[in-house]
Amino acid sequence: MLETFTPAVCGSRKRQIVAQVIFTVTAVATAAALGLALGLAGELLGAKHAVLAAASLALVAAAREAGLVRFPLPQARRQVPERWRFELPLPLWASGYGAGLGAGFFTFQPVSTFWVACAGALALARPLPAALCFSLYGAGRAAMVVWPRRRAADPTAAVERLTRRRGALLRANALALVACAILLALAPAAGGATLVATDAYDPSWSGGSLAYATRDGRVVVRPAGGGPDVVFANASEPALNGQYLAYKDDQGIHVVRWATREEVASVQSTMVSDPALEWPRLAFLRRDPEFERLVVRNLDNGTNAVHVSVKPPTDLGRPALRNGRLAWHVSSRKESRIVLKSLGTGVKRVVARSEIGLLKDPALYGARIAWVDGRSGASHLRLGWVQPKMRKVKTLETMRARTRAYWTTGMGGGFVYSTRWTLASGATSIYRTGL
Amino acid sequence: MQPPELRPSTGLDRQAEKLSAKLAESTTRLSFLGRLGAAALAVAGGSAVAAAVKPDEADAFHLCGHIWTTGSCPSPYPPLSRIDRKGFPLHPQSGRPIDNLGRLIDSAGYALDGSGNRLRGPDDEVLPPAPRTRVCEDWTGEVKGLKDLRIQGSWFRCCGGQIRKLVDCCSFSRRRINGDASLTGYCWGGRRVYCVMYYDTGLPC
Repeated sequence: MLETFTPAVCGSRKRQIVAQVIFTVTAVATAAALGLALGLAGELLGAKHAVLAAASLALVAAAREAGLVRFPLPQARRQVPERWRFELPLPLWASGYGAGLGAGFFTFQPVSTFWVACAGALALARPLPAALCFSLYGAGRAAMVVWPRRRAADPTAAVERLTRRRGALLRANALALVACAILLALAPAAGGATLVATDAYDPSWSGGSLAYATRDGRVVVRPAGGGPDVVFANASEPALNGQYLAYKDDQGIHVVRWATREEVASVQSTMVSDPALEWPRLAFLRRDPEFERLVVRNLDNGTNAVHVSVKPPTDLGRPALRNGRLAWHVSSRKESRIVLKSLGTGVKRVVARSEIGLLKDPALYGARIAWVDGRSGASHLRLGWVQPKMRKVKTLETMRARTRAYWTTGMGGGFVYSTRWTLASGATSIYRTGL
Repeated sequence: MQPPELRPSTGLDRQAEKLSAKLAESTTRLSFLGRLGAAALAVAGGSAVAAAVKPDEADAFHLCGHIWTTGSCPSPYPPLSRIDRKGFPLHPQSGRPIDNLGRLIDSAGYALDGSGNRLRGPDDEVLPPAPRTRVCEDWTGEVKGLKDLRIQGSWFRCCGGQIRKLVDCCSFSRRRINGDASLTGYCWGGRRVYCVMYYDTGLPC
C-alpha cells in the first residue's frame, strides 16, 4: 500500500501530500473513534476485572513476542483494496485506506500489541482518554506512510530495511508489553475504580443521580441521564433521595426538591448535621456539649426518635438511611463498629467491629452495606450484607498509603462511590467501584 | 587490659536492625536455613558491631535487645512494636503516643498534623479520635483471634545508650506468632511467649 502514496500514483508531489494528509486525518480519527467506543464499553461494563485481565493479556502477548509461546492472532490477512485507487477519487480512496488501517481490525497484524491496547482501552473505561491514546495508534499508522518517503526515493526499500530489524523490534515490543502489564496491574484502576468527580466528597446516589459536596462550599447534583448540574451554594453534606435533596448550611438542614429548588422541610438549628434522607424520614446528628445523638425525624408528622446517644469524643459519623434501615458507625478510643438497625422492627445488630481499625461512614443499597476500614498504613473499602445470616465481608479496594485514605461512601446503581482523600493537601476525589 | 570503649555507630545499628527485621519478617517458620541465615547475619553484623560496642550492649535479631527469634507483636509500625508502660503503641522513632492508625496524637487522643495542630478532614472539621488499644491484649488478640494474651515476663538491655525493657506477650497457645512452637521464655502460669514488644525507659546506661 505504501507505494500508493507516490507522485507516480497520485499524479504530482502536491497531490501526494494531499493524499497523505487525508490518509493521516482519517487514520487518526478512526483510531480515536475506536478508542472512544472501547472506553465507553469499558465504562458501561465496569473496569474492575478488566484491568487485571488486560495486564494478564499483556504478559501473554509479551511471551508471544519473545517467542516463548505461539498462538495465532485474530486478524484479517488482507491488504487495502488496491482497486480503489483506480476506481475512486483520491479523497475517497485515501480516506478509505486511512479508515481501514486506523481501525486496526481489517488488515494484517504482525504483532499482538494492538489487541493488548484494545483490552487496555476497555479497562481504562474512560472514553476520551482512550480515544486520545488510540489516536496515537492512527498517527503511528500515518507515520509509516510519510516516513519511508522521507528516507528514500523508494518507500518499499525503506520498509524492507525496517523489517530486517524485526528481531530487535520484537524484543523491544516484548519489553514494552511487560512494562504495560506491570503498569496496568499497579494502576489505581486495577482496583476497579473510575474517577467520577474531582475536588468533591460526601457522595450520595439516588435514582441515577449523584450529589456531592465540593471544598469551596457547594453541593452539586449531577442528574441522571445527563443535563446540567444543579448547584446549591453555601451548602454541604448532601443526601439525595429521588426528587429530594437534604443538605446542611449555616442555619441547619434543608430538604428541597432539587430540580425546582423548592424547600419542603427544614431543621433549624446550628447543632444539627450529617443528614440522611429517605422520604419522609430524615436522619441527622444533633451535637450538644454533652451528647451526640442520632435522630430520625418523620417530616410528615414532625415526630422525632433518638436512636443513639453517645458522649463526646465518641463519634457517630454520617448515617445512612435506605429501605427502612438505618446504619451508622460508633467510634471511640477503645473500638469502632458499624451498626445497622431496622426502623420497622427495631432490631439492631453490629455488622462489623474492630479494636484495631477505624470503621466508619457506612452506605446502604439493596441487600448490601459498605464502609471504610482505616488501618495503619492502609485504608480499605469493605462490603457486607444487611441480612444477619450473611456474614461474609469482602474487600472491594485497598489503598496502601499513610498519606491517603477513604473518607465517605455512597452506594447505588451497582456501584460504591467513595471519597479518596489526600491528607497533606486535603484534596479529595470521588471514585466509583463496581460491586 | 580493658577493651576499647567505642560508641556504636547509630547508622550501623539502624541498618543492621532494618536488615535483620526484614529477615525475621520473611521467616514464618524457624527453618534450618532461616536459623542459619539469622545466625550468619548476627555473626557478620555482630562482629562488625562488636568491635565498636561497649560491654553489655545487646546484640539483636530484629530488635535491639532481642536475641531470640520470636516475632514482634502486630502494631502500627511493624516490626517495631514500641509500647508505653501500659502497653499502648508509641511511635518507634520519637516515642510519642500514636493511635492505631499510626498518627501522632495529643493527650485527648486527637490526631495531629505535621504542625502539631489537630488534624482536620476535607470538611475542615477536626477528626474525632480513632481507636488506640493495647498492642498485646487487643491488637494481637484481634489479629490472631486469641483471647488469653497477657503481658508477663520482661528483660532489660542497653540499647542506644538507654535501658530498653523487652516485654513478652504471653498466651496459652503452643504456637507463637512465627507459626512454629512457642517457648516459655519469661512467661508463667502455663503461658508461653507469643510475640514480643519493647519499652524504652530513657534511663542512661
